[in-house]
Amino acid sequence: MQLSRDQLLQAYRRMATIRAFEERLHDEIAKGEIAGFTHLYAGQEAAAVGICEHLADDDFIVSTHRGHGHCLAKGVDVKGMMQEIYGRATGTCKGKGGSMHIADVDKGMLGANGIVGAGAPQAVGAALSCKMDGQGKVAIAFSGDGACNQGTTFEAMNMAVVTKAPCIFVFENNHYSEHTGPAYATATSTDIAGRAEAFGMKAWRANGCDFFDTYDTMRELLDYVRAGNGPAAIELDTERFYGHFEGDPQRYRGEGELDRIRAERDCLLAFRKKVTEAKLLEDGDLDAVDAETSALIDAAVDEARTAPPPTPDMVLQDVYISY
Amino acid sequence: MAALKPFAMPKWGIEMTEGTVAEWMVQEGAAYEKGALLTLIETDKITNEVEAESPGILVRIVAGAGETLPVGALLAVMADGPADATEIEAFLATFKPADALGSAGRDAPKPAAPEAKPVAAAPAASSIPADANISPAARKLAEERGVDVAGLAGSGKSGRISLQDVDQASRPAAAAAAIGGTPVSVAVDFAVLDGFYASPLAKRIAHQNGIDLAGVTGTGPRGRISKADVLAKVQPAANSNAPAGAAPRVVPMDKVRKVIARRLTEAKQSIPHFYLRAEAKVDALIEMRRQANLFLGGKASINDFLVRAVALALIEVPDCNVQVHGDAIHYFSTADVSVAMATDRGLVTPVVRGAERLAPHDIARASKALLAKAQAGRLSYEDMDGGSFTVSNLGMFGIDEFDAIINPPQGAILAVGTTRRVWGEQADGSGAFESRIAFTLSCDHRAIDGAVGARFLAALKALIEAPERLFPQG
Amino acid sequence: MAQMMMREAILETIRAEMRRDPKVMMLGEDLVGGMGTAGGPEAIGGIWSTSTGLWEEFGSNRVVDTPISESAIIGSAAGAALAGKRPIAELMFADFVGVCMDQIWNQIAKFRYMFGGKSKCPVTIRLVYGAGFNAAPQHSQAVYSMLTSMPGLKVVLPSTPADAKGLLTQAIRDDDPVLFFEHKALYGVKGEVPDGDYAIPFGHARQVRSGEHVTIVTCGMMVSVCERAADSLAQEGISCDVLDMRTTSPLDEEAILDSVEMTGRVVLVDESPPRCSVASDVAAMIANKAFAALKAPPQLVTAPHSPVPFARELESAYLPSPPKVIDAVRAALAYR
Repeated sequence: MQLSRDQLLQAYRRMATIRAFEERLHDEIAKGEIAGFTHLYAGQEAAAVGICEHLADDDFIVSTHRGHGHCLAKGVDVKGMMQEIYGRATGTCKGKGGSMHIADVDKGMLGANGIVGAGAPQAVGAALSCKMDGQGKVAIAFSGDGACNQGTTFEAMNMAVVTKAPCIFVFENNHYSEHTGPAYATATSTDIAGRAEAFGMKAWRANGCDFFDTYDTMRELLDYVRAGNGPAAIELDTERFYGHFEGDPQRYRGEGELDRIRAERDCLLAFRKKVTEAKLLEDGDLDAVDAETSALIDAAVDEARTAPPPTPDMVLQDVYISY
Repeated sequence: MAALKPFAMPKWGIEMTEGTVAEWMVQEGAAYEKGALLTLIETDKITNEVEAESPGILVRIVAGAGETLPVGALLAVMADGPADATEIEAFLATFKPADALGSAGRDAPKPAAPEAKPVAAAPAASSIPADANISPAARKLAEERGVDVAGLAGSGKSGRISLQDVDQASRPAAAAAAIGGTPVSVAVDFAVLDGFYASPLAKRIAHQNGIDLAGVTGTGPRGRISKADVLAKVQPAANSNAPAGAAPRVVPMDKVRKVIARRLTEAKQSIPHFYLRAEAKVDALIEMRRQANLFLGGKASINDFLVRAVALALIEVPDCNVQVHGDAIHYFSTADVSVAMATDRGLVTPVVRGAERLAPHDIARASKALLAKAQAGRLSYEDMDGGSFTVSNLGMFGIDEFDAIINPPQGAILAVGTTRRVWGEQADGSGAFESRIAFTLSCDHRAIDGAVGARFLAALKALIEAPERLFPQG
Repeated sequence: MAQMMMREAILETIRAEMRRDPKVMMLGEDLVGGMGTAGGPEAIGGIWSTSTGLWEEFGSNRVVDTPISESAIIGSAAGAALAGKRPIAELMFADFVGVCMDQIWNQIAKFRYMFGGKSKCPVTIRLVYGAGFNAAPQHSQAVYSMLTSMPGLKVVLPSTPADAKGLLTQAIRDDDPVLFFEHKALYGVKGEVPDGDYAIPFGHARQVRSGEHVTIVTCGMMVSVCERAADSLAQEGISCDVLDMRTTSPLDEEAILDSVEMTGRVVLVDESPPRCSVASDVAAMIANKAFAALKAPPQLVTAPHSPVPFARELESAYLPSPPKVIDAVRAALAYR
């Protein structure tokens, strides 16, 4: 591990922020104040952070409906996001998009997307733009064990290979595509990355619940792609702690499964264990981060609750730049 | 076989219920060209000339000259070619008078209260089979207008006949021939204006009026030059009235003149007129008018101010603001003042409506517009209809005073004389010249008593002599 | 001024824009043609000859010859646009919009709005549309009616080479997403094209014929059909005011209503079937906003409610034609 103390704290802070953000949303949504559909990322933090810690603002990511983690990992403002989810005029998207469509193009976050698989070709396009610029920048398409079956994913992979686009296909296999398991729905469920390899692309695999495994694997992958070798893929084995959407009763879970994955596959606990055992950080350091994160989320929710709602005249704004 | 069509009593204006055939200008059996004068039809207000929309033959006259018939009644039968008596008789037998052929939708008569219908309905040759593919409203209209739907191609699904299909079929053949004839050019002749970001109509207007679009600012959609922007640059058209003194225009106004004569004779003979006379001092009014015109930049005449004063006086003395209808008196809460106007076609009295709500300059505008229409012979029924009081001003001819004849069904008329300079005693006992106008109020004694008339004149005089009251307060 | 075919005007415009702005790029199938074959690149010079020579001048990064993957093509265009480029994506046949509709409808059309006005997606999608070449049901459709209804998109249909140049220039420079419809039967039509740089603003109809009896509103390939009908009617003394909408979104309502207020009679001519078509939409707009001016119901001359048939006689019966337009004008005039 070549990460500095600051980098370690930063990584932990990112993951803790995501965890706190999602856990808090789970509670708030149950109270009924938040409209629409929300899909929580809690449990998969290591995947988002392990990847995005390598990226700059001019590297691009395209996310899915379960996008809060990717947004936060890429540096999108926490309070702006909370306000957006609460549907406020001061939200990141002025209350126009909501949870599923948060974007911050200036930070290279080209949008969470409500259509499964739609992001993959968009990431290829962003990668083509990077290729034109020739600065070694990349574009990353996040998808899952569900999106890997969508036609757009295949088209995107093929196109990325033939155009040698610096595009990275990330398959976060959290073992559920909506309410169905990949063993049923995904023909090569034990090896999704193999699909990318079938298109002639190099693919890596890593443990998506272990920050360090993800981070180290990504370093190698990114060196490869930034060097101009064309696209690559990575399959991350991970878990989501909540349902497909908030309100999902999760009857498809096995007996004691949720408890087990919280106990055995919690990336924050794993991170803490590793860094404290290796004497890189102490519990106190991490606890302090937890406390600050918690306070930040509290403040975010309080501000979101009192932020101004959008007004009816805003319905027609921003349909076009000029019409 | 010729195509026969009915010529029914037309409906001009919402209130017309009947008309009188004054004179047939085409003989029975004679052919006529498009645009030929067919007949003259009188109504309460105006004698109308009816012109042929397309060429044809007047195969049968049904309504004789002088006959008065309701709107929609059959007056004659027209055909596009010679027709024999059998055809004509058949046509007459099946003709059903309809409410005038206004738009089927908009002018449709209000449904009458349902009456018990005779058990054995007279079988009409145009009865429609119960299983015909026709909408309920269309069926009803077809029966009313005697339209034979058997051969009609319906525009609806599976040939269903709609109200519109029946409406169209019931009307005389269109004046499609009115459009067309000699070839025309459709070239876009203002292509030279292509470089300008202006709407097609704006370019057309600019081209017609020789306007250079280079200097025009666009306020249309997306900053485009629109019609309004160009129209703002169009100079008002030069006064197109024919100069006086040219050879006299001969307009056959005998019928209108006849109508005027008939009505006024009737009025003089049947209404018990009495006359009240008063004078008002108008120095203040004249000065007020001068200042108002200067200040407001308008051109209100003394008469416009007088109409205003009359309106306010009618509101003050509502018993003078009446119409007489047989045994009933109609009282009005608004002052619709008829203003007598002399035109080449004769005297007309169009109405300035709601004059109590109009400032003198608004009255000036309204009168001016009505005068223009009157002079062009384009006054409509709406312009002339109603009114409870007339103002007739012969002052511009130097007439000191006169007695006017009431226009029935109005209750009164005010005759206005010229402004005279008269030596009068002032409040302090000295003498000075004053400007005065003499008024004569003719009243219908059936509805208006002397005291009422007198109160009206007093109110009028008070308003005229305190002319600041003529402007709306607040 | 130069005489050129519409396809040449389009090619020249793309070339000029790519030279002017290094951010402009192209994506599409067979834009180059012959990639990966023995015949070598440019073996066909682009299927519609609207991209001939561009790859040689601008290279593979800016002229991306793609596999047959409409979703990936349009999706890449979307992503590249969000990332800061100005992509021109081509759909070889407009009918293929069905394959990639999600990327147009749920993605491109909605980015700016759902991202709170903080992104722009300056993508131009060129679609080759229309019937008349017996290309049969899946390669002949008009398609633009559906896209006109989608908020967030602009829909453009040039009818002449001069308009193609000006409107495509505007489309590429426009920061909003534009669907640019090129009729396959108009590619070979020649016309005068002004020299130099010019852009025709959207929402600005072109007056094709000037008249006072009937208004005819149309676009695309149907403009020339209406021109012929109007010229024939002019011989009989009937003058038609013919308007080429040029863009169905945004629509030049002002020009249409000005004309209808003058004539009182209108004929809408549209190559699409009638249900939910541009013709029906504009007729409803006229009936709603100019009812008092109308002397006759709006007349619609459209394709029937059927797919585009293959056989010559059938396709010819399917399409609006000058006699059909003339009949509609007469029907409008005959209404009493």
